[in-house]
This record gives sequence, structure tokens and C-alpha cells, in this order.
Amino acid sequence: MMQNRLLFHQSSVSLEIIGLPDYSINENKDQISIISEWKLTIIDKPLIEGKIEHLEPIMDAFYTYSNLLIKNEIPIYESTLIDIKAENLHIHNIVLKSSKPNVKPLILKIGNSLMSDAINCFDQLNESSKVRIKKTGVSNNFPKNVRFRLNNKVKFFNFILPPLIAFCSLIFFSSTLIYFYNPVEDKEKNELIIPK
Amino acid sequence: MPNKVTIWKLRNNNPLRKSYVKNSIKLDEFDALIKITVEMSRYLYPYIREILKSKEDLEENSVIWNDFNKRFIELITERLNINSIRVKKFLNKTGNNEILVNYLLTLSFCISDKGHQKLKNILFNF
Repeated sequence: MMQNRLLFHQSSVSLEIIGLPDYSINENKDQISIISEWKLTIIDKPLIEGKIEHLEPIMDAFYTYSNLLIKNEIPIYESTLIDIKAENLHIHNIVLKSSKPNVKPLILKIGNSLMSDAINCFDQLNESSKVRIKKTGVSNNFPKNVRFRLNNKVKFFNFILPPLIAFCSLIFFSSTLIYFYNPVEDKEKNELIIPK
Repeated sequence: MPNKVTIWKLRNNNPLRKSYVKNSIKLDEFDALIKITVEMSRYLYPYIREILKSKEDLEENSVIWNDFNKRFIELITERLNINSIRVKKFLNKTGNNEILVNYLLTLSFCISDKGHQKLKNILFNF
């Protein structure tokens, strides 16, 4: 049976997905749901290829690492299959560990440009309607409380701020006036009033 | 966004600018600004990529990076309030590398079809 091939390309990186449609759920013949093989080609670097069980952890690693990069956190990702560490601000070291025994790990050095190319290839794969894969990386829904905050933050503050300022100033002025109040003097005044 | 003037007015909400207005941006206006940013970064991706690449090779003379940094500082000085501490960080030609790489990477990671969702998530977690 002829396998389907799909190519996702971004500048110096291309990702090839090879597989078959799932005929049991009447999928189109150009669809890929059963991925048998994938190849990640980076210009001037050794070819990276594997099975579906390797693709998802590798995509996860790239997405997690790229999130750490842009969040200004320490960019280190370590797992049984792949390690990614930053050599400096512009270069990243990738160590791909083989599941087969006696195979040396593959070490790659890629810059920020190749890193963003790879991420864009994975994005294309994630967003493709022709490949069914467990989606990783991008969550399309941001938290509801964040959405609420953006919509209502200004309105809420406009509503609550004037009475809050009024209340605070009332407390402030009344607490300053307390220094002018002398209870002893007040008592004397009362005593003077009573004999009348 | 009905016209360019609306975009210009929205741009003036940035409190880091020399003169700015204090209006509240609506959610749909925020979404529109995000989409414009993503479209622009998709269009400019080859340039963004080249700028990032120019800093990767230490032996290579990073003319592109220096030009970009110079232009960035010129724009910041021209338009933003340079007395602000946050803006001062942008103006340090040697110390702003991390900020610039971070911004360029953020833009380059968000050029896919659903890039606006990604950029929105990044901004909300900023």
C-alpha cells in the first residue's frame, strides 16, 4: 500500500511525515492518522528520524524549551530521549539519545534562527488538517479569569475607586482631627456647664 | 480596525510613549493589535531570522545585528519616554541584547496560522 507523505517546510528546516489514513473511520485517502515514520531535516546537520513515539516527546521538548527561552527562565530541558541546553544567548545544544543500546547520542548545535524554523515546522504540523496527531505546544484557550480581567479591570476600578478614595480620606482626616481633641478640656467644659 | 488612524490612536495607549492617552483598550481592539503584530512578523520573518542569525557566528562580523540595534535605539529615543527606567534598559547598546533576542524570538515563534493565539498566551503570561 502506498504511504502518504506530507512535507512542512520553513527556511532551513523541513519536517516530513509518512503514514496512512485510518480507513476504519472513513478518512480521506490523502489524510495521515497512522504515522509510520518522520524525518526532520536541518540544513548542514545530520538527519533526525524516528517513529511516532519519538515525535511527540521531541515536539514537547522543543515547545517547552522555547517557552522557557521567551519567559526568561533558565533554558534547560532534560528527558530520557532528548536534552536541550543553552550554550549562550544565541546557541543551543541538543542531545538526542537513542533508545537502542550501544548507540552514541547525537549532539547538535543550533542557533536561534534554526530553533525558530523548527518550532514553525512543528506549528505547521500541529495546525495541519491533514495529519491527526496529539496536539502539543499551543493551547488555544487562555484562562477565563485572564479574559475577565481584561474586560472588566478598568470598569471595576472606575466603579470602586471613587468610594474607596472617599473612605480613605475620611479616615485620614478624622484621624488627624483626633489630635486636636482633648478629653480633659472637654470634661472641664462639661463641669462648667452643669452648675448653671 | 476601520482605518489607520484607529491603529495610530490605539498605539498612543502605550504608557512608555513620550505622550500617551489613558483609554482602556477593548478586547476586540487588543485582538486586532495582536493579529496585526503576527501578520507583520510573518511578513518580516526572513529579516527577523537574518538578524538572529547574524549574532550566532562569533567570527562573523555582525553588521546586521549592529544596524538593527542602532535603529532600535533611534526609534526608542525618538518615541518613548527615555526617563523611564524600563525604557533606559532598551537604550543600553551592550546590555539590551537579551531583551532584543527575547522579543525577536517571541515574534518568530508566532508566525503560524494560529500564531495570534500563541502571542496572546505569551503576553498574558508576561
